[in-house]
Amino acid sequence: MELVTQIVLYGILMGLIFALIALGLSLIFGVMNIVNFAHGEFMMVGMYIAYILSTTLHLDPLIALPIAAAAGYLLGVMSYHLLVHHILRGPMVAQLFGTFGLMLFLRYLAMFIFTPDVRSVGQGILVGKTISLGWLTFDVSKFVAAGLSLLLFALVYLMINRTKLGRALKATSLDAEAAQYMGIDTKKMNALAWGIGGATVGIAGALLAHFYYVTPTVGMLFTLIAFATVALGGFGSIVGAFLAGLIIGLIMVVSGQYVSELKFTFIYIVYFLVVVFRPRGLFGW
Amino acid sequence: MRQVLKNILSLEDRPRSEKIGFIIFIVIILVFPWVVEGSYARAVMIKFLLFALFGLGWNLIGGYGGQVDLGQAKNVGFGAYATALMMVWWKVPFWLTLLPGMAFATAESFAVAYPMFRLRGHYFAIATLCVALVWKELFVFWDWTGGARGVEIPIRPTPDFAYMQFGSPIYYHYFIFLLFIAQLLFMNWFRKSKLGYQLQAIRDNEEAAASLGINVTNTKVITYCITAALGAMGGSFMAAYYLYIDPDFVMPLDLSILIAMTVMVGGAGSMWGPILGAAILIPLDMYLGAWLGGQKRLGIDYMIYALIMMFIAAREPKGIWGVFERMRRRR
Repeated sequence: MELVTQIVLYGILMGLIFALIALGLSLIFGVMNIVNFAHGEFMMVGMYIAYILSTTLHLDPLIALPIAAAAGYLLGVMSYHLLVHHILRGPMVAQLFGTFGLMLFLRYLAMFIFTPDVRSVGQGILVGKTISLGWLTFDVSKFVAAGLSLLLFALVYLMINRTKLGRALKATSLDAEAAQYMGIDTKKMNALAWGIGGATVGIAGALLAHFYYVTPTVGMLFTLIAFATVALGGFGSIVGAFLAGLIIGLIMVVSGQYVSELKFTFIYIVYFLVVVFRPRGLFGW
Repeated sequence: MRQVLKNILSLEDRPRSEKIGFIIFIVIILVFPWVVEGSYARAVMIKFLLFALFGLGWNLIGGYGGQVDLGQAKNVGFGAYATALMMVWWKVPFWLTLLPGMAFATAESFAVAYPMFRLRGHYFAIATLCVALVWKELFVFWDWTGGARGVEIPIRPTPDFAYMQFGSPIYYHYFIFLLFIAQLLFMNWFRKSKLGYQLQAIRDNEEAAASLGINVTNTKVITYCITAALGAMGGSFMAAYYLYIDPDFVMPLDLSILIAMTVMVGGAGSMWGPILGAAILIPLDMYLGAWLGGQKRLGIDYMIYALIMMFIAAREPKGIWGVFERMRRRR
């Protein structure tokens, strides 16, 4: 019983983090129907920012959160204007290869700057601290990360459904052409989606760096997990991404308990089964 | 029969400049090992032919079919592992391991193809990627495949034709060249075959193709299986040539991407595109990589790759061959 509770709670915490990573991907796909292969690399940038702050500047990696958000936003908007905007009209193959190239570029830029060494954030208020709830023990950093994930989801959800800007974004995702006729600057909306996507995943990276090692190649795995999450939740659905994140977290933790070498394999299989048998995901429209 | 043979050998629908270029290319490859002595240059040449071979195979599904398959490395791995494991376990001669590897790749692709081709576009691409990653993780996980340690093919005391072990790289050069020519002739037949035309019709407009009575799914599945078999053939050669394989060498995502990229850079859906792409990317990779690796500047070669990739995607989705064709039309 203790083990089960521990696993379920741990799965939910990891799930909230996966959901936060998937949020931006889902948003970008929802607004302009393009898949961002560089998503995990945006996250990696956030992780390295936390690493630099903690190791080189001896600051607390928590300070990295706003910086990673800003850097992610900039990176997203820049990627849109410099690359994505130009490949949107091209064939699907070109779109795939465009963001794939972006992924490779960021990954090997990180390798050039930081070498392929595995690094981890050594110190900080949250690093390495644990919390005990009765007989359950958890990393404080995971709790904080999960809490912030909830908060960010609430913020993005409110922003999209309550503000004028968010409604414009939603209109663009529903029908870009019609939105344009209504006087919405869809190019700006696209850039905004990339910005928000980059910012949220940048924060996720800065949080993840508290308890996960950083390497230049860390992104691919999380991109794939995010794909699986978004596919499960339904491409473009924010609530879907949230719930699917929880499911993916539970699947990973439970399968990791039995065959730890194959815990990611199950996630790939989940993606495959979901897109084949229910292509619009659990909550897609 | 004569018609088929003619279709395989004839280039009569191509312009004269292409025929001349092709003959010059063949002559260069034939005399290359006699003119160039350096062992590194010969290794680059063999790798170029290998990736041109991979590219030609991938061009079927990715170029003529327009289905972005990011999992070709799994088929390379099947071929390589079939050859390596059969040679190590049962001392089977190389020549008898070619077909089992190709057969396994075909069977596996057939099994996953029907569910996979319910998908299109991005969903399909990511699904191929996931399937390939699942296989790679299984090959690392399993003990009987050698796990992450991989498989080493023991070196024979004397050169042995049956086991594809030669004293000089010249033999490997001509062997991969033969495979390459065989595949090129197959491609030449394919692009003019009924299947080839059906496939291109599907690429250009799936609904229209279906309304003309083309069985869309079957056409894609057959092509996907042929692509898989061709990938496994190259994989078998890799095992025999490098004598050591592990999942990170023959099944990684990077290999799938490099294969797809040679085709994209050269020109997807054109006959010569994959060869052009490999001729640019492989020497770039091997010389630049070696030079930068010596300078301890990791990653620059891949950054250049990535920039080429983004530029091609944004400006020239038809690759270098597309530029040639445009120039020719302008004249």
